[in-house]
Amino acid sequence: MRDDARDKERDVKRLPIAAAALLALLFPGADCSWGQSMDDLNLQVHGYATQGFIYSTNNNWNTTNSTDGSAAWMEAVVNVTAQPQPKLSIGVQARYFLLGTYGNQIKLDFAQGDYKVNEYFGFRVGKVKTPAGLLNETQDIDPAQLWILLPQSIYSVAGRDSNLAHLGGVVYGTLALGKSLGKVEYRAFGGERVIDTADGGLVRFTDQGFQMPTGLSGPVYGGRLDWKTPLSGLMVGASEESDNPSGNVTRGTFQGTVSGDPFSTSHVFARYERDKLMVAGEYRRGTTNDIIQLTGLPPVYAYIDQRSFYGMASYKISEKLSGGLYYSSSLDRKAAYTSARYQKDWALTGRYDFNPFLYAKFEEHFVDGTETGYSITDNAGGLKPNSRMTLLKIGVSF
Amino acid sequence: MKRRPLPVFFGLLVLAVCSCAHAQVVIIANSSVSASSISKTELRDIFTGASTSLSNGKQVTPVLLRQGGVQDEFLSLYIGKTDSGFRAGWRSILFSGQGAMPKTLDSEAAVVEYVSHTAGAIGYIGRAAPHEGVKILVVR
Repeated sequence: MRDDARDKERDVKRLPIAAAALLALLFPGADCSWGQSMDDLNLQVHGYATQGFIYSTNNNWNTTNSTDGSAAWMEAVVNVTAQPQPKLSIGVQARYFLLGTYGNQIKLDFAQGDYKVNEYFGFRVGKVKTPAGLLNETQDIDPAQLWILLPQSIYSVAGRDSNLAHLGGVVYGTLALGKSLGKVEYRAFGGERVIDTADGGLVRFTDQGFQMPTGLSGPVYGGRLDWKTPLSGLMVGASEESDNPSGNVTRGTFQGTVSGDPFSTSHVFARYERDKLMVAGEYRRGTTNDIIQLTGLPPVYAYIDQRSFYGMASYKISEKLSGGLYYSSSLDRKAAYTSARYQKDWALTGRYDFNPFLYAKFEEHFVDGTETGYSITDNAGGLKPNSRMTLLKIGVSF
Repeated sequence: MKRRPLPVFFGLLVLAVCSCAHAQVVIIANSSVSASSISKTELRDIFTGASTSLSNGKQVTPVLLRQGGVQDEFLSLYIGKTDSGFRAGWRSILFSGQGAMPKTLDSEAAVVEYVSHTAGAIGYIGRAAPHEGVKILVVR
């Protein structure tokens, strides 16, 4: 099975070349300027593509053969936005993503209509990004980030597809509180959350032999408040989200359902930016009690009380070079006392912008624990309690 | 008579220094924009996508210049970011579905042409660039 996985990795390595060729065909003569613009509808096309490489010690990471070094990590994104009126915009964004044996298909990031009535109120509907946490809406935008990997304690790349967006809507606006109190930005959302059958967030089930053949889905709602304080550059915020996914589950020949209490997630965060310095921190708590009921068997209860946080800092060393550091921690207080109960990660990163369109990143992670990104399925010899990861990435955007 | 060139020289030098200290970028707007001035905070908010309206509530549409000296000076004076940081900010907005990228034009003449014919448009050009048909906003 491991050789089949390697063959699949080799096969799919050809796909980013095809993706790049597709982009070139779609946008011939693209000169890496600010996208192509069609005046009638203010139609713009933008995109980016990245190629990553990962090497890890001890444990394979997220379906890759990273202990041997893996380049099965790439993405290509195309965004088409029209703004027929100043208050109205319509946008579609598609993504090809591959990580190890996960993905390797084109998915819709979002497809939405957005109408901004005024500074106090606007709304967007469709498949929309979920405004939960400091970085959820931007976690997948590699050209806009210093980091290759955001703190996995909160922004796991394995669960990104499911957490990134929901079907429904968002209402938003900004309320000025006066010079001495700053501004408050609010966003409220609701709709349906769909979790793919291969989502990394389901690893806690699949590692115990359960499969969700059709994934999970259910209602989601929540909100986020950002206070842009009177101190220039300082923002403090919080968000709350409630997901209640359910679906079918199998284990061997047994079939049943998974349901339970809503997965409640609370975030508190702050960010300070001044000149070349950025400092940020975030705390998240996620809790749920899942019930897996297989026909003919007693129910299986899966309790989660995950508490995570990170602190990060970055500095623009020169016009082209930036560096950063973060510490990330996650602990599932309901999990068994193994290395899968927790994860601590020190990360050091650097980014070099060759020009406005081409950049490269280098990142080193020192990971203790295997709670996120490490699966028994990918590590037949068993999980080791810690590992080190070296990541490289190159990206182009237009 | 032979002494005159020195004071004249120093006078010209002082003038040159003063003109360098004075910003070489001006903010222009369509005549439909009722404001005659704009604060640095408003300017930064509009051109970073944090806001789409002036303090008087009127919606404005920013337009950008491509890379160059005027762009660099505008970013340095009013945004406080390098061009790559400025673009990263707009990419966050665009690729997260929170807004559209502002129109970007190749030349100051194109910016003036666009701003003069587009209600609510606001842009920036070099001080020496011709700007018939648009109004200049004083930055306070």
